[in-house]
Amino acid sequence: MLRRLLLAAVVAAIAGTAVFWWLTIPATVAAGALPAYQPNLANGLTTFNAGGCSSCHAVPKQDDRLKLGGGLAIPSPFGTFYAPNISPDPNDGIGRWSEADFVTAVLKGTSPQGTHFFPAFPYPSYTHAKIEDARDLFAYLKTLAPVPGKVRDHDLPFPFNIRRNVGVWKFLFMDDKPFVADAGRSASWNRGAYLVNSWGHCAECHSPRNVLGGIVTAQRFAGGPNPEGEGWVPNITQKGLSDWSAKDIEYFLETGQTPDGDSAGGSMVRVIKNTSQLSAADRAAIAEYVKSLPPVEGPPKPKKKDAS
Amino acid sequence: MKRIVVVAAALVFSAGAVVAQQDQVKQAQAQMKDNGKNAGALAAMVKGEKPYDQATVNAALAQFEDTVKKFPTLFPESTKGLSPEGDYAASPKIWEDKAGFEAHVASFAKAVADAKGKIKDLDTLKAELPVIGKQCGGCHETYRIKKG
Repeated sequence: MLRRLLLAAVVAAIAGTAVFWWLTIPATVAAGALPAYQPNLANGLTTFNAGGCSSCHAVPKQDDRLKLGGGLAIPSPFGTFYAPNISPDPNDGIGRWSEADFVTAVLKGTSPQGTHFFPAFPYPSYTHAKIEDARDLFAYLKTLAPVPGKVRDHDLPFPFNIRRNVGVWKFLFMDDKPFVADAGRSASWNRGAYLVNSWGHCAECHSPRNVLGGIVTAQRFAGGPNPEGEGWVPNITQKGLSDWSAKDIEYFLETGQTPDGDSAGGSMVRVIKNTSQLSAADRAAIAEYVKSLPPVEGPPKPKKKDAS
Repeated sequence: MKRIVVVAAALVFSAGAVVAQQDQVKQAQAQMKDNGKNAGALAAMVKGEKPYDQATVNAALAQFEDTVKKFPTLFPESTKGLSPEGDYAASPKIWEDKAGFEAHVASFAKAVADAKGKIKDLDTLKAELPVIGKQCGGCHETYRIKKG
């Protein structure tokens, strides 16, 4: 009897490990799956600005947005991430990466070594992007100056430091369906929907997350506590932005100024540095889409202290 | 008896100090709100919602200059950590990184001074307003916290 129980336990453990292993195999894009292609550098630059790459990967505390040596500390409830060097430096950056390595990293969240990236890297949004955009982005990044200097490792406690576990996270929370245009909407709206949900990765900060760090789908774009620490990220559905016109949103993305004359604060200041570089048409497209988001109540805000 | 008087006086005095600090915070908030109101009035012209009006421009710049003058007294150490009414609070970084904060104030002062002689019509306003706006955002990025 005991022996049979033991045997059952061993079989269950093996099966469990096998399922875990199978479930957490990092997805990749094979080099053979990429047909011959002439990259478009101008679109690479647009993608770079829409993706907000320099918000995290530019060397902190200096003004050159194109110095992508990384190093920015990104605090989170799971530990502190350090944005890696994505300059074309062959030793410390992505200089030796193949195009397939890059496309795999950005669209699948898998490193050239075949391990999972942590989703502080917003690939759960980038995964909805067009493969051509990612290829143009790669070509564009290659034109930038290499920045030497390896960035330190992330500072994460167990069990969050086990990369294989990210495979389970991806299984639970990552929707990798490609973007599908809505034929009933304007071309501009669709462009906005694409930019917001893929490269723009707006929902990554403007949505509440559950205890495991997955976005609460029902409250997408409804804001919540700042995952980087103090404060609150605003609700950008019509629950929060009903008194903003599409024009107001557009102007905000260009200048960082709100309709009542206030300015963007916190991480949004870095976002504006990117969106201000987009074409006016792209900003208008984003505004049109954001203005169309149905009102959704966000998580309850902390009680305001009455000072008087 | 003497002791009671001393304690009572101390209590009254410290209560007074707390009230004074909260007034101080309210004053800082009011000053910032006025900045916003004026910047909003300028933005309305840039966006084409309102016609260009030099008097509005002059009033806004005068108010920004007033803010520059008051900045050094607006955030005394005694108000650190106070959580006021409203959507925003001053970040403790204002006092932890005093040099950085003061550099931002100086840079704002320069932007306002530069803009003063330059804004004469809609085109010059369109060119100058983003320069000032960048100063607002540059400081709010680090030294202001959105509470909710």
